[in-house]
This record gives sequence, C-alpha cells and structure tokens, in this order.
Amino acid sequence: MDELMTTNDRVQYIVIKVGGEQYGIDIKYIDNIVRMQHITRVPKVQSYLKGVINLRGEVIPVMSIRGKMGYEEVENTKDTRIIIIKLEQHGTVGVIVDEVKEVVTLSEDDVEHFTYDAKQEEKNMYLQGVGKYNEQLISLLELNAVLSEKDL
Amino acid sequence: MDVSQYLEIFLDESKEHLQNLNTQILELEKDSENMDTINEIFRAAHSLKGMAGTMGYKRMQNLTHDMENVFSEVRNNNIKVNSEIIDVVFQCLDALDEYISNIQSSADEGENENTAIIERLNAILNGKSGGGEAPKEEAAAAEEAPKAEAPEAAAKAPSVNLKLAEEQVHVLSEAMKQGKKIYFFDVKVQDSCILKAARAFLVFKAVEELGEIAVSDPSAQDIEDERFDTNFTLVIISDADLDKIQTAITSVSEIEKAEGKLLSEADLTGGTAEAAEAEAEAPAEEAPKETKSAATTAPAPAKAAAPAKDEKKAGKPVVNRTVRVDIEKLDVLMNLVSELIIAKNSLVSAAGQDHSQTSSFNEQIEYLESVTTNLHESVMKVRMVPIESVVNKFPRMIRDLSKKLDKKMELYMSGEETELDRTVVDEIGDPLMHLLRNSADHGLESAEVRKQRGKPEVGSIFLDAYQDGNNVVIEVRDDGNGIDVEAVKNKAIERGTITVEQAATMSDKEIIDLLFLPSFSTAKQITDVSGRGVGLDVVKSKIESLSGEVEVKSKLGEGSTWTIRLPLTLAIIQALMVCIGDEKYAISLGSIQTIEDVKASEIKYVQAKEVINLRGVVIPLIRLSEVLDAPTNKTKDDDMVVVIVKKGDKLAGLVVDELIGQQEIVIKSLGKYINKCKVISGATILGDGEVALIVDANACF
Repeated sequence: MDELMTTNDRVQYIVIKVGGEQYGIDIKYIDNIVRMQHITRVPKVQSYLKGVINLRGEVIPVMSIRGKMGYEEVENTKDTRIIIIKLEQHGTVGVIVDEVKEVVTLSEDDVEHFTYDAKQEEKNMYLQGVGKYNEQLISLLELNAVLSEKDL
Repeated sequence: MDVSQYLEIFLDESKEHLQNLNTQILELEKDSENMDTINEIFRAAHSLKGMAGTMGYKRMQNLTHDMENVFSEVRNNNIKVNSEIIDVVFQCLDALDEYISNIQSSADEGENENTAIIERLNAILNGKSGGGEAPKEEAAAAEEAPKAEAPEAAAKAPSVNLKLAEEQVHVLSEAMKQGKKIYFFDVKVQDSCILKAARAFLVFKAVEELGEIAVSDPSAQDIEDERFDTNFTLVIISDADLDKIQTAITSVSEIEKAEGKLLSEADLTGGTAEAAEAEAEAPAEEAPKETKSAATTAPAPAKAAAPAKDEKKAGKPVVNRTVRVDIEKLDVLMNLVSELIIAKNSLVSAAGQDHSQTSSFNEQIEYLESVTTNLHESVMKVRMVPIESVVNKFPRMIRDLSKKLDKKMELYMSGEETELDRTVVDEIGDPLMHLLRNSADHGLESAEVRKQRGKPEVGSIFLDAYQDGNNVVIEVRDDGNGIDVEAVKNKAIERGTITVEQAATMSDKEIIDLLFLPSFSTAKQITDVSGRGVGLDVVKSKIESLSGEVEVKSKLGEGSTWTIRLPLTLAIIQALMVCIGDEKYAISLGSIQTIEDVKASEIKYVQAKEVINLRGVVIPLIRLSEVLDAPTNKTKDDDMVVVIVKKGDKLAGLVVDELIGQQEIVIKSLGKYINKCKVISGATILGDGEVALIVDANACF
C-alpha cells in the first residue's frame, strides 16, 4: 500500500532540450523515442507539421516543437529525436526535439503548478508547471496544448 | 439457462425475420389473398415471438404474439386483410424494430409497452368475433397455436418406433398401471434452426412442466451437445391430455412439428403395433417387412427404427455452407495481408537494386507476388457482402412515403446481389435513402400533374446496382419532374451563392451541381421528408469519404438520374507512382484515363488557364507541383508528362515530372492530426520503407 502511495504522487518525466531550455514530458504518454529519419512532407498544412514518417508500418504525423512554441527552426543534429506520443484526443503523433537527456522522478512537492492566470501568458501556454530537480528547473509540458491545432 | 451467448444470433435472426415480415407484408398489401404470403408472415411472426420469449424479452414477445394472433385469424379466413390491418402491422414492425435496436445497444428491450398498438391489434381480433371478449393473452396463445398446428399434426399420426430397454418398459408399465398416460412424441426442429440444442432444451422444459420424460432418443446428453439431426423422439409419462402436451411443444419456436400418440400396453411390449401406419411412412422396400414381422413376432423394434431414420437423413437438404465471422477479425486479416504486401514490395525493390542474384530468385519473387495478389483478392472477396441488406428496407420506406406524401409511386430495384466491401455497405444506406426520399418528394409529381402531362399516374423510382470494372455503380432514377435548372439558378442568386453574371455563363450541369453545396434545398415548402437543407451536400461528402463520387443527370419534365460510383475496396489499390522533384506520389489507377507526352508548345490558354487540346477534347492542365507546393526539376518550357484523370465525365491533365510505374499500394490514413490537405487522400508505405502520399485526383478538379 505504501508503495502504491509513493508511485501515485511521484511522476516520471523524460527531460528534453529545446532551444537550450529543459522541458519535461510525463512518461505515461510516451510510446517510443526514435532517431531522426526521413520525413515525407505533407503539403498545405500548418508550418509546424513536418510531415509523416513510417513507424513500423504505421504512418505517423510528425510536428516540430520548435515550430509550435515559436523557437527558430534549426538543422537536425545527431542528437535530434522524434518522441512518439500517444494521446486519446490526437492519436499518435511524433514530436521533434533537439535532444533527449534523461528520465527524472519528481514528487508532487517538487512541482509548482501554474495557476489559471499564469497560463494566460504566452510563454506559459504550453506548460502545466515547473519542476525542481537537483537545483535545475524543468518546465513540464502540457501535451494537449502542445499538440492542439494552431494556425500559423 | 444462460442466453447471453445467443444474443448476437438472436439479433441477427430477429432482424432477418423483421426484414422478411416487412417484405412479405408489402407483398400482402398488393395481393391480400395470397395464402403463401400469409403463411410465411405467420411463420416469421411465430419464430420472432419464440425467440423473444426464449431470450426473456417479454414486451417484444407480447407484441409479436398479438400480431401473430391477427395473422392466425387471417390464415383461418376469419379476418380479411385490409389497409387498416396493414398499417397497424407496419407500426407494430416499427415498434419491434425499436425493441431490437434497444436490445442491440443495451441488451435491454426498453420500457415501451406499445399498448396502443396492442390495443389496436386486439381490436382487429375482436372485430372479427363480434363479441366484446378480449382474448386473454396466454389463453389465446394456447388456443391459436394448436389451431394452427393441429391440422398438420392430425394428418399424420407418427409411426411409433420405440427402442426400449427392459427396465424402461418396466417403468412405463408401472406408470400405466398407476393410471398415468404414456405418450410418444416425434418432434421435428426446423431445418434452418441454428440453436437446435436450445430449442430441444425448451421442449424438454415445456414437457417437464406437464409430465416426466421417460425416454428420449437420442439421449438427453446427445441432444444437449447438438448430436442429432432435426428429429428427436420422446416418451412421456403424464396426466395431461395429448393436445396439451402437443401445444406445449409446438409453442416453442422453430419447432416444425410434434407428432404425438397415446401408447397402449401393446405398444410398449410389442413395439410398433400400427404396421399400416408405419407402412405409409417408412421407406418403401425394407421397412414394411421389418415392421410387419415386428408386429407378429414382437422382437426388438430397434431394427424397424433404424432404416426409417437413415431415410430421413438422406433426404435432408444440404446445410448452408457459411460461417458468420466478426468483421473485426476480417479487419485484422486484411491488415496482415497489407503488411505482407508491403513486405513483398520491399523484397521486390531490394531485388531490383541487387543485380547479383540468380534468375531462380527472381522467379520466386514473381511467384510470391502472384500469391500475395491472389491472397489479397480472396480476403477482399470475403469482406464483400451484397447490398441487399441495405436496399431491402427501401420498398417499405417508399410505401410509407407514398402514403405520407399522398403520391402514387412504385420502387423497382435491380442488382441487389451486387457486392461491396462490408464497411462501404454499412455506410451507403443513408445516402441512398436520402436520394430516394429526394426523388419521392422533389422528383415525382402529384398524380393529377402526372395525368395532365400524359404520364402514368403511378410514379416510378428505380434503384439499379451493377459492377463496372473496379467500381460499383448504384443509380437512383425517377420518371418525375426532373430538376428545374431555372429554379435552381434563381435560388442560388437569391441566396448569394452565385452572382447574376456568373449564372449567365454557367452550364446547366454546373448549375445542377450547385445542389450539392451545403444548405441548398429547392423544395418550396419544408416537409419532414426532405427539404431541410441538409441533404445533398451530406450525400456528397459521405460518398466522397468512401472514395466514391456522385453525379446527377436530369431532364426537365422527364426525370433525374443520380449515379453513385464506389470503389470495390478501400484498403488496397493499384496505383501509378509518379515523381515531382524528389518527392514520390501515388495516383489511383481507377481515376486515370490515359498518360500523354505533351510538348510545351501545345499548351493553349482559355481564360488565362492552361489547357491542352487532346484529340479534339479541351482538357485543363493542373500542375501538381503547384497544387502540392512541391519543388520541380522541370521548367515551364520542358516537355511534360501529363496524366489524364477523369471524374464523372470531366477530364483534367495532371502534370508530373516523371512516371515511376504501376504498383499495388496499401492505403494508410494520415490520421486525424493531419487532415487539412484536401488533395491528399492518404499515404502508403513504399518498398524501401519511405512514405508516399496518395493524390486524390477527384479533389484536383
């Protein structure tokens, strides 16, 4: 029972790097992490949608988190990864990130959730809160907002 | 008994019975004296009642029961069929349909008692008897059933073929001495019955309420395991009358007949005493002799029983050789076949790159290719179902519309056996219904107008389906008023859909196509049949979502024809692979007419748009590189490869950089996350693992 309690308020996050900043994605939404591969461009779609890839026989759409969050697009490096995310609302979607660093476990006490007012600010739109880990700050992504449709 | 495992079969069967009832009652409306039809209706109603009862759906059972009573009286010539009866019965069928859909969604029949319909049914019943005595339901059941079954049963008393062990004879004789009656019953289950064991179980249960089953042949265990043909025999010890037991047995649904006989002491000890009767029924050659000798010498009667049974087995019709399979299992199979084809494609492309292999390797690859193609075709065929299941409900609908709109009309259907992929068949019902309603409401004129125009008073609506190459065509045609192009034009201008200037330059066909725009209805008054403005655009988008197309041809005063064209299958198609710059695209072979090499100098301009004149036909050019924002390696002055595609009878030329070749491709959805691009209908995975997009030629027009 004790163990159950601890797992309940401790959440594992995968820490990724985008434009020098650290972001955390709740591990329960992550299906897979794959290396950069050939992306087939799809015409006439939002600019942050990069196209589709073949993931073991399935066609999966891929988006750039840089494009979506307003960072400048950069050339892919050897560290570039596609994180395959499964969300009920959007299905399976690949998200391109600069680098995948590590997996951290944060307890509820380490996380400061944003209030509704804080979310109104542009830079906080895609975040659910900030986590503290070993003196570092990790912005925790609100995936539904990250994946939601936005005309650019 | 737990019946939940039978729920699906129950649903399937009751839908079949309902459909059958609908069809037969339509028949009956035309020919109210037809005894065959009446019998068929009675049988279907009876089975439906039995099934509902077995599954414990009391309300449904009651309603069907009352309907059955009416037809029982009709069958006995006590009631004449009139339009009132037909109307009530149709209402009754609708109510039953509601029960079934309730059951389907929640495994519960719902709370609606439909007392109004039951009262009307009973009123019809009482109307014939004249008196005010409302038949108590259960009592009526007991009365009607034997009336219906009795003549059949009485015509032929069963031949008693008993196989009794000594101790059984002893038990029976003992019972007889105690003043109990011993009956012999030969029960026959309908050939079409699926749940024979369940039916037999119900017979056992019914009989055990009245008496005791001393012997059954085959044994109770065998019957439970469904190890019997269609007949089984019972020896029953009971105080009740023969009739009562017979009624109890025959009221179980799908029991074709139950022949009963009171046994005497002689029967028990002497086997078959009624040689004469046995002679009538037993096989011509051997059995009579056997039974006769049996009567005189009284040996074990088992011998007489055996040939009689064999004979029946031989005469049994061949069972329908089909299996019901859950569509999901077929989807899985289809996906696996898709995977196999992708793997095969990779192998083919790998073999193409490597020049070192031997010819036998190539042969094997070709063999593999032909096997996968055949496999795909077979799986596809398995998924095909006749459109019958969808169109069957239309005659009834037209009949109702005819009453509602007060117009005379008749629906003629052909090609109901045409097959389409199951997923398509499930989706096609609504659009077709829409078109038919449209024809009935907007298309056909009222009887007076038709008379004035010299047309037959009864309007005709045709529904024709047929296969045309890789497509299935479904046509809805009427001989009504046709589309009034002027009216459409005026309405469109009034609505601001088009300007007066635009209207002047538009062809009739273009104007008729306006009907497919959202919120466009020309009905002068809004009826609940059609004319709510949510019509043809929905039809069009539905058909297009099935990768099909819909077209209309119309002549004012003579009628309209709506043509729906659907691909045979959705999952795997033959496609032409083309290159634009570095990108590869697939175009469905089904929409391609020809491929042409065109010189840049042959391009002409009409209204500043590029066209070519191909053998006398002017065809607009569409540069795919522009439509798809794809960088091309060609300049405007280079010669072009033009893929001529058709949509209905319109043509367009798609300009591509290069042709790669024909290939069997597996269509994969782009998913809901990327759905903005109208020109792309999906994606496929190529042999080298790369994803190529599929260009929807229809969307280019």
